[in-house]
Amino acid sequence: MSSYGTVLPTAARGILSSCRPSLREKSIAPAFSVFQQVRGAKSNPQARGKGKKETKTDKKGPREFRQKSLKDMEQFALCDAMRYLRAVEVGREVTTSKYEVHIRLRTRRDGPVIRNMIRFPHAVQTESRICVICPPGSKQAKDALAAGAVLVGEDEVFEAVKAGKIEFDRCLAHPDSLPALNKAALGRILGPRGLMPSVKTGTVVDDVASRVEMLRGGTVYRERDAVIRLPIGQLGFSPEQLRDNLRTTIDQIKKDASGLNDRVNKEIYEVVLSSTHGPGFSLNGEFKTDNSPETSALTGL
Amino acid sequence: MVNLFKRMRKLKTILDIRTGTGAAIFPNPTSATKEFPPVTRLHLTYARKIYNGHQGARHFWRNCLPRLKYHNPGVRMTVQQTDDQTAPPALTIYFAERLSSTASAIVGTKKITDKHAPAAESGEKTAVVDLKDLNYKEIWSRVQASTGAEEVPASAEDEAERKRLEAITAKAGKDRERISTMRQAKKDQERMLAEARGEVEKMKEL
Repeated sequence: MSSYGTVLPTAARGILSSCRPSLREKSIAPAFSVFQQVRGAKSNPQARGKGKKETKTDKKGPREFRQKSLKDMEQFALCDAMRYLRAVEVGREVTTSKYEVHIRLRTRRDGPVIRNMIRFPHAVQTESRICVICPPGSKQAKDALAAGAVLVGEDEVFEAVKAGKIEFDRCLAHPDSLPALNKAALGRILGPRGLMPSVKTGTVVDDVASRVEMLRGGTVYRERDAVIRLPIGQLGFSPEQLRDNLRTTIDQIKKDASGLNDRVNKEIYEVVLSSTHGPGFSLNGEFKTDNSPETSALTGL
Repeated sequence: MVNLFKRMRKLKTILDIRTGTGAAIFPNPTSATKEFPPVTRLHLTYARKIYNGHQGARHFWRNCLPRLKYHNPGVRMTVQQTDDQTAPPALTIYFAERLSSTASAIVGTKKITDKHAPAAESGEKTAVVDLKDLNYKEIWSRVQASTGAEEVPASAEDEAERKRLEAITAKAGKDRERISTMRQAKKDQERMLAEARGEVEKMKEL
């Protein structure tokens, strides 16, 4: 249609007008002209190129993630924040609602990110089912089973996954069974769920058993856009339990940050406590204030 | 992470947890009188949809329970949502040792049972309130009457804060209207110009 539109007015209009009734031609002509005008205005190649260049130079933003001043932010003691969050989460199912923590960092936009796994003093997940892919009957298989893996094996696991039965939350693999795993082509099924073992994510390991043990009480976290988010406690936790978990988390993140690279400087900027349905409460680092209720009242359902 | 100012604005909603319908303190072991024994637990059961009078119960959960929980952090509160639309929504109030003097009058003669409510522990007495076709304010007035809960008046700062937020909301409405008229006027202008241009082209073609 468009090629016709460009060709027609110059070459074929005379012919067209001669062989078609004049009424029809009238209705077509303005349509052509409008069409051409719009096209010209929009797709002027020079104008377009100029605009693009300008935006490109503009796009180069600040090197660091901009973190605003917390001067006006209302900050809370842990017990007070918990009191509000427990009020927001009232009547929710205990198994689904969790305390979350968001740790904002002062960091550059590029460079390495913090990525690690943590084991809390008080486990957040009640039970995480782990599948281990390794040669059945081997020493690793026995160790993994002893460490608490739910599903251990090679072919039987592949069969189950292909049949759509994925009854585990984590998946590990031993390097010996990696070829078999790749042959089974489970990436299509496991990949989107984030269960596909790979060396990059640290789920292909020699010492399967110790990894299983770590995973059972462990939570994986990573820094995204200068924020680390992770679940930190069940809703029934007492303030002391939550404090212990929070302390462990912050200590480990500080350790991660210092262990990254000498030139990379990351520091914790703000700690925000939130919950599954609740707003975020910026913490001021104190445990309780004079107004906060007894810690026993903030425990349980 | 969410913009700091957005978060600060959102955090103002905790004002609604501190104050409003249901911001009251239940009698606890120290403040209990002979008439109103301490309240140990609450349990609410309602169905998923609103017909057959289940709406008020859900609103009670949404509006009043967070306030009650905030002011009575030690009182356990559970909510069970069911698919059974025919059973009446019910609120079970657990009193320590004995029922309050007004509870039986509030419960009325038509006794209902809530099979989802957790069983009363030893020394607990329960009163099951039928919530069918009541709105959440009516439910709250019943709960207050039967437990003798003491309302927490909003502090002067909270009042001022509420006024400020209301003023902001009113201003936002006005601004929205102003901006939408401006945008509409601009759009109208553009459309008019485009039409005029089309007319000129038509003339040219002719």
